[in-house]
Amino acid sequence: MTIAARRARRAVLRASLPPMRAFAPALALGVLASGSAVALLATSAWLIARSAEQPPILFLGFAIVGVRAFALGRAVFRYLERLVAHDAAFRALSTLRVGVFRRLLPVAPDGLRGVRRGDLLTTLVRDVDALQDLPLRVLQPLVTASVVAALSVIGVWWVSAPAGAALLVGLVVTAGVAALVMQGLSRDADMRIAPLRAALADAVLEYLTRWETLRAFGADTRHLERVLELDAELRRAQSRQSGAAGSVAALFTLGAGLTLLTALLVAEPSFAVAAITGPQLVMLVLVPLAVFEVVAALPAALSAWWRVRASADRIASIVPDEVPAELPVAPVTPTSLPVGPLALRLRGVSARWPGDDSPAIAGIDLDLAPGDRLVVEGSSGAGKTTLAHVLVRFLDHEGEYRLGGVDVHELHPDEVRRHVVLCEQSPHLFDESIRQNLLFARDDATDADLLAVLDRVGLGAWCHERGGLDAPVGERGRLVSGGEAQRIALARALLTDAPVLVLDEPTANVDPDRAESLLDELLGAAAGPERAVLVISHTPVADRLVTARVRLHAAR
Amino acid sequence: MATAVSIVARALTQALLDGLSVQGAARVKSQLRSRMIDAVDVGGSTLLGSTSSARVATLLGQGLDALDGYIGRYLPQLILTAVATPIIVAVLLVADFATGITVILTLPIIPVFMVLIGMSTRAVQRRQWSLLTALAQGFLEVVQGLSTLMVFGRQHRQAERIAAVTEQYRRRTMSVLRLSFLSGFALELAASLSVALVAVSIGIRLIDGEILLALGLFVLVLVPEAYLPLRQVGAQFHAASEGIAAADEVLSLIESAPQGHGHAAPASDPARATDDIGVADHGASATVPAASVPALTVRELTIRRGDRVVIDSLTASWMPGTLLAITGPSGAGKSSLLGAVLGLVEHDGEVELAGSPVHATDRIERMAWSGQRPDLTGGPLDEVVGLGATTVDPARVTASLLWAGAGDVPRDTVLGAAGDGLSGGQAQRVALARVHYRAIDRDCRVVLVDEPTSALDAVSEQRVIEGLRELAREGRLVIVVTHRRAVMAAADEVLAIQPIDRAARVRAEATS
Repeated sequence: MTIAARRARRAVLRASLPPMRAFAPALALGVLASGSAVALLATSAWLIARSAEQPPILFLGFAIVGVRAFALGRAVFRYLERLVAHDAAFRALSTLRVGVFRRLLPVAPDGLRGVRRGDLLTTLVRDVDALQDLPLRVLQPLVTASVVAALSVIGVWWVSAPAGAALLVGLVVTAGVAALVMQGLSRDADMRIAPLRAALADAVLEYLTRWETLRAFGADTRHLERVLELDAELRRAQSRQSGAAGSVAALFTLGAGLTLLTALLVAEPSFAVAAITGPQLVMLVLVPLAVFEVVAALPAALSAWWRVRASADRIASIVPDEVPAELPVAPVTPTSLPVGPLALRLRGVSARWPGDDSPAIAGIDLDLAPGDRLVVEGSSGAGKTTLAHVLVRFLDHEGEYRLGGVDVHELHPDEVRRHVVLCEQSPHLFDESIRQNLLFARDDATDADLLAVLDRVGLGAWCHERGGLDAPVGERGRLVSGGEAQRIALARALLTDAPVLVLDEPTANVDPDRAESLLDELLGAAAGPERAVLVISHTPVADRLVTARVRLHAAR
Repeated sequence: MATAVSIVARALTQALLDGLSVQGAARVKSQLRSRMIDAVDVGGSTLLGSTSSARVATLLGQGLDALDGYIGRYLPQLILTAVATPIIVAVLLVADFATGITVILTLPIIPVFMVLIGMSTRAVQRRQWSLLTALAQGFLEVVQGLSTLMVFGRQHRQAERIAAVTEQYRRRTMSVLRLSFLSGFALELAASLSVALVAVSIGIRLIDGEILLALGLFVLVLVPEAYLPLRQVGAQFHAASEGIAAADEVLSLIESAPQGHGHAAPASDPARATDDIGVADHGASATVPAASVPALTVRELTIRRGDRVVIDSLTASWMPGTLLAITGPSGAGKSSLLGAVLGLVEHDGEVELAGSPVHATDRIERMAWSGQRPDLTGGPLDEVVGLGATTVDPARVTASLLWAGAGDVPRDTVLGAAGDGLSGGQAQRVALARVHYRAIDRDCRVVLVDEPTSALDAVSEQRVIEGLRELAREGRLVIVVTHRRAVMAAADEVLAIQPIDRAARVRAEATS
């Protein structure tokens, strides 16, 4: 692992820790709860042994109160600890999410490594949420167990040094051996289980959704075998992990027993010479049992740590520290564009995706004036989407790109996007109402504005049928068809009143036999004397709809 | 010595218990998973859109994982409790009657508490649950919609929104947790108070000289052990209830699967599958086009979708070397017709290949088919294109990619799960390369392609049309479902399918 990767990981991990003052109460309560458990056993043991000497009951009052208090305290502190710790971890999650999001912004959307892989963002979000475990399941048990163990060792040592030493050695050796066993037996399994589970889910989904294709190609049997293989591999990893967990638990039981035995053996001489009392001896012997129960939480903390670390590494690797050269950066003193119609001009423009060796488009010349409707054609892979991303400054470029005569390098990318609006190939619809999905394009729009724009893109009746603007669009637009999603995206774009509109493959996710009519209607709705429209399409666009055509050829 | 032995024995049995119970859970899960896949295998045909595959996949994954808690921990703990608790209580009764009675009286408090708390919190928890999952999605939504947000300049405000949504999530979750943790609190309290009760009462009786110290200590150490199993049952209970719900759903899915659906031959018998391949190869070489025998004949072919007749009693035959275009509006039954010819969609009537009737389950082996969606699988490009071939011939893959105009897709591409990683047009061309590979590799005499050019521009489309013509020239019957004029114009014959209202109106017309 390189130094840079370590530093990146450390930065991610640091961001996922709650502030100390929020987390300190949780730690304190954890120590109190586990401490009470140890103290409960110690005082009860002392109480019983002391009682056997039949002192006046007055001498035991303190211990009786102590036993009751520790019993109550253990339960109450544990409850409070869990509440406070979870609360602190959730608060940290908020900081962490905002932090990762801020880190995403300068490089999004095109600078995220592997962003063209569909599941990247889902993985990222899952990894961010997995970092909650750092305070909750790693630090909390670690600190609690260490402090309680240390206090117990000190307490026992104070009564009898040999017994204290026995407890210390017992704890250190058991924990050390347990860590080694975990490292050897379950670390790999721990790390493999999550990816295997994901691979199995993918394989099953693939089998279910592509069953006909697999069957038609005679590949169904083999695919099923692969599913079963993954299943078996996952099962092996899980058995290995559970075997390791079992052995480690057994190890702690064994360690507790042996420590108890050792404590008895080494403390007995002191008892024989009356250096310690009988009740003290009983206490010394029983305390290790309670301490080991507290420390037994450590192995789980260790596996949680491995998982957290893997998540932190993935986040660090997806979100680069530095903005790649292929992405635009805001100028130091940005100028601004006037409101109103704008002409767009490209001369010899080429652009490259971050991490690629060769440009995706090169030598593009293009003019777009208000009122123009330009169609960009080209086979897939010719760089049509790249061009769209250059136009809205998701990607930087070489060559000349002017908006209203101003070089876009002098403008803030946000300013460019205020004037050049992109209707994406797969526009994101948020899991909210139709109204909310439109409003974020222009939040001062009235309901009348929204209904008017819906009418314009041919969704007036559709919206009415669904019960108006408050109708939900469903998770990722599940309740909306591909064509409707495109229309909503166009409605959004029209709401902004931007002078330049870029439509990227509006018919990509639409039934083939509806594509042409949709394109007709979209272009009809988008056209206007003051608006320049650029449409990227593989579906043929009728001549009457456009004023010019440009054909792209692959740059590679 | 006896102490040491019992310490070691306890440790060993604990290791065994933990290891075996989780292994048991994993084995049960595997069994359920493969039973469920079998059930889907027989029952599901996505051509007719009958399975909600995403739900099933979720159930097979996370749903079954919830069983870990139930089978791996809850059940063993329940059995352990049923066995161990009475023994410990009996020992306590014999050793010290008073303590035994205390334990017997306090033990039932735990389940009673659990039930009471469970009942009072369940309604609240369920109400909160859907809300929580919605809030948990909040961050994912923002990140997934980031580019859309950037288009509209809304990305900077989202940081506050994320903070607000997460904060709301925290408050809601905490209000659920306050209740959920109560059950843990009750368990802990019951156990530790009982220890306190016993310790104090023994202490007082020791002072009075009623019992001996050894007995007192023995009882003191044993009392927590009497509560431990029951406490752990309580602790596992929540995970368990989730598992039971998942198991219910899995079992109901397995039971609801229709048995023997006719069209979908279970392909789980490897001997049979090999046999079929043998027949196919043999058939292929035997049916090199005798010009007078039709490559494909359908007689009285009727397809129903639910109660509705989609294709009514179609009789037609096509000669080898024909490029046939099938056209018609959405929902007219074009894809169903291909599915029926292929044997994937249930139908009445007969389908003959090269002059002899072939049963539905055997036809698929002798044809190459490409569906309307590319439906690519994950993996290296060569394996994706050579899907189903025992060994993939790289030279042939190159030829097929070039044939489909997919030469621009980098050869070292590794596709993500479910074929992620290609643009729409690229995916479609790779799917075409895949059907070409099979047609050539297995020498299929009938090639069926469904909307092969819907995502392609005119130039790529022309190339695909030439490719399809080339396949026809080699003596194959090529059937293409399309709405594109260019494809129809290139076809030897066009079959226009009209949606049926009451009567069947299938009309075949030759255009060239």
